Amino acid sequence: MQITTPLSDELSRYLDLSSLELKLTAQNMANVDVPGYRAVGFDFAQEMQRSIGDALASRKRDTAKAGSDVNVTKVDGLVERPDGNNVSMDREGMKMAEAQLQFRTGEELLKREFTRVMDAIHADK
Amino acid sequence: MNLFGVMDVSGSALQAERLRAEVVASNMANAETTRTPEGGPYRRQQVVFQSAASDQGTFAHHLLSESNGEIGGVQVAAVVSDNTPGLRRYDPQHPDAGKDGYVTYPDINPLTEMVDMMSATRAYDLNSSAVQATKGMIDASLDILK
Repeated sequence: MQITTPLSDELSRYLDLSSLELKLTAQNMANVDVPGYRAVGFDFAQEMQRSIGDALASRKRDTAKAGSDVNVTKVDGLVERPDGNNVSMDREGMKMAEAQLQFRTGEELLKREFTRVMDAIHADK
Repeated sequence: MNLFGVMDVSGSALQAERLRAEVVASNMANAETTRTPEGGPYRRQQVVFQSAASDQGTFAHHLLSESNGEIGGVQVAAVVSDNTPGLRRYDPQHPDAGKDGYVTYPDINPLTEMVDMMSATRAYDLNSSAVQATKGMIDASLDILK
C-alpha cells in the first residue's frame, strides 16, 4: 500500500530544489568577500521539469527515486568586481526571498495533501 | 538536502566577517601606536578570505546531507600584516622620535578602515538574514507535523 501520492512526491522534490536554491544562495552570500569566487546557481524550472519526469518514470517502474543530481553551474551575466568576485548582494537577497516563498508554498501544499490522505484514512470512522 | 547545512554555511560567513570587523577595529584603535611587542610601529592587519571546500568524507557530512555538489562556506585563510613603511611625522618631543626628530606612525587611513568596516557589517547583515530565512524554513517544516 502506498501512502504517498504523485502530488506529494512532486512536492517533496519541489521542496528539495527550493532548499538547494537556499543553500546555494547562502553559499554565494558567505563568499561575498572571497576574491575570485564566482556565483553558482541552477535553472529551477528546468530541474523541476526533469525531476517530475524522473518521478513519473520511477513511479511506473516502482523503483527508488531516480536522478537526484542537479546541474549546478556558475551564473552568467553578473558584473565582476576588480577582485574577480561576481556575487551581487541584491541578486542573492532576491533569490533568498524567492526560495523562502517557494518553500512556504510547497510546504503549505504538502500539508494539505497529507491532511487529505489522513481524511481518507479516517473516512470510515 | 539538509537545511541545517545552510546554517553551517551562513555561520562560517558570520564568523569570518566578525573576525574581519575585529581586525578593522584593531587597526583603527592602533592608528597612533608606535610601540609593539615585535618592535617598531603597529602594522596594519588584513584578513584574507577563501572559500571552504565542503567537508566531504566525514561522518557528519554523510549523516547530514545528501551531497549536491560542492557546497561550502567561507574561511579565514590568514591575517596578514601590511609591510609598507609607516608614515613619518616630525615630532621631536615624542619619546619614540628618531635622531632626526621624526616619529614613524602606522600607515592607517581611517577612510579605508571605515569602508572596510561598512563592507564587513553589510556582509554580516546579509548572512544573518540568511540564517533568519533558514530558521523560518525549518520552522515551517516542523509545521507539517502539526
